[in-house]
Amino acid sequence: MKRSSSLALFSSALALCAAASASAAQPGDPPDGLAKIETVVVIFAENRAFDNLYGHFPGADGIDKASQESLQQRDRDGSVLSELPPVWDGLTAKGVTPPVTQAMTEHLPNGPFTVNDAKGFNVPLSVTTHDLWHRYYQNQMQINGGKNDMFVAWGDSGAMPMSNWDTSKGDMWAVAQKYVLADHFFMGGFGGSFFNHQWLICACAPYYADADKNPAKPSISMTDDSGTALKIADNSPKSARDGIPKFVSDGNLTPDFYAVNTMQPPYQPSGNDPAAGGDPLLADPAKPTTLPPQSEPTIGDMLSLKHVTWAWYSGAWQYTLDHGNHTPTPNFQYHHQPFNYYANYAPGTEARREHLRDAGLSGVSFIQAIDDGVLPQVSFYKPQGNLNEHSGYADIQAGDRHIADVVAHLEKSPQWPHMLVVVTYDENGGIWDHVAPPKGDRWGPGTRIPAIIVSPFAKHGYVDHTPYDTTSILRLITERFELPVLHGIVVRDRAVAAHGEPPLGDLTGGLDLN
Amino acid sequence: MDADKIVALVTAGGIELTDRRRNATDDGWSLSFANGATVEVGDDGSARIGGKGTKAVARLLDPPRNA
Repeated sequence: MKRSSSLALFSSALALCAAASASAAQPGDPPDGLAKIETVVVIFAENRAFDNLYGHFPGADGIDKASQESLQQRDRDGSVLSELPPVWDGLTAKGVTPPVTQAMTEHLPNGPFTVNDAKGFNVPLSVTTHDLWHRYYQNQMQINGGKNDMFVAWGDSGAMPMSNWDTSKGDMWAVAQKYVLADHFFMGGFGGSFFNHQWLICACAPYYADADKNPAKPSISMTDDSGTALKIADNSPKSARDGIPKFVSDGNLTPDFYAVNTMQPPYQPSGNDPAAGGDPLLADPAKPTTLPPQSEPTIGDMLSLKHVTWAWYSGAWQYTLDHGNHTPTPNFQYHHQPFNYYANYAPGTEARREHLRDAGLSGVSFIQAIDDGVLPQVSFYKPQGNLNEHSGYADIQAGDRHIADVVAHLEKSPQWPHMLVVVTYDENGGIWDHVAPPKGDRWGPGTRIPAIIVSPFAKHGYVDHTPYDTTSILRLITERFELPVLHGIVVRDRAVAAHGEPPLGDLTGGLDLN
Repeated sequence: MDADKIVALVTAGGIELTDRRRNATDDGWSLSFANGATVEVGDDGSARIGGKGTKAVARLLDPPRNA
């Protein structure tokens, strides 16, 4: 069903959510004591699979427990690769000295490799490495029905998806050891950052009405008969050893016009400039990558409905508005600001002023709010680009240290005694993980990602094996503050149940509320 | 430098390709990236960079640097 952006439909969707709230029974009633949590903080880093950072964490379902089937990557024809292809254009990002070149990555064995292995490439955690495709259809093709054996075949970076890091000396590793590491937490949607930020706040797929009659028409993807994979072009290299795959149309929209890969916000700050002579607060709607304003209910709408205070804190938000973006610092990412796609938070609205807050450069304003004990009941924190751990433009160490510093401030906050913090990643960044995602609905869940639960109520030194996905954060917030349930969560829960999978949890598996 | 090479270099640097299409005169490609940069790539190998993220993309391509 195509959606309109009318207020009437928004209202009916709210009513639907309210109705769903009354009948929602999965994954079970909220545990007693949930009301002890008065402050929820969600920290959303970038682009790391679970095995990439925590594959050797004691007690976790790590690389050591991977089946031979998932360790070995297959070629595009289904045969097992005799060796990994090289990392096309080299393993390290442009400008890194000394570089790890493409030639140095030839003839890697078919399996995972550790980037900072002293006997291998010996690249430290402070170095930025090659980015990888992390796109909606490719992610499904790579997962290959749960076998996770086509990450190399349907990637754009040769061996790179099989990379992992020893992060056991990292600051967040120590935080995970102190509190709870969830080792079966999956990204809410397949693919990339744009889509998974939407899943964090909306549990929905954004929509571009009448895309076939609008500037985005050439960005409509062409899938094969399965509807879950892209149609391969005739000139695509037959083997992963021969080059990057080519597709007939690898766009940002599904054939039925849902936006699943990166589109720009309709409001500034946006990657797309205002139209010439147009409203300077808007992005040019004639650009093919500008997504029209969205109207689906979000968790923000639900919180506001129940008069629960909340904010999305974004690093370098105001800096970018005032001074424009700069690289490599702060390297603000326009498509990591999910509420900036919604009409309810358009420039000039009271909701925008109240809820979309500047976290400051390097999160300084957010940290000040933590120290002052003035965080709203629910906070989302998005680190600026150079601190988010995204391959290609950020390293792991800077983000790891920054987030651990934020956690240290949270532990000392006046609000700490009744606080729950979730530190997770938006998606896997195109990187392999060995655990099959739960079978869900059309949109996800996708690949497994790290999640750390930090709280005075967290079980200490605990690895939580409960199945979760990004919407589990929404489940927790929804249950704690008795909100209407977002429709996408209802659909996800039903789909998971229909596949005979255990229900996705609400993060309380990592808590001791007694 | 052709469009495929430019896309490979820029996306390896962590800047996603958001749009790729033939230009209006059908003599090259128009590429858009997530940081707001656009690259007009001629079939003759010429490249022209514009938009918000020009510097970041130029740094990854280096040359061309004719923004």
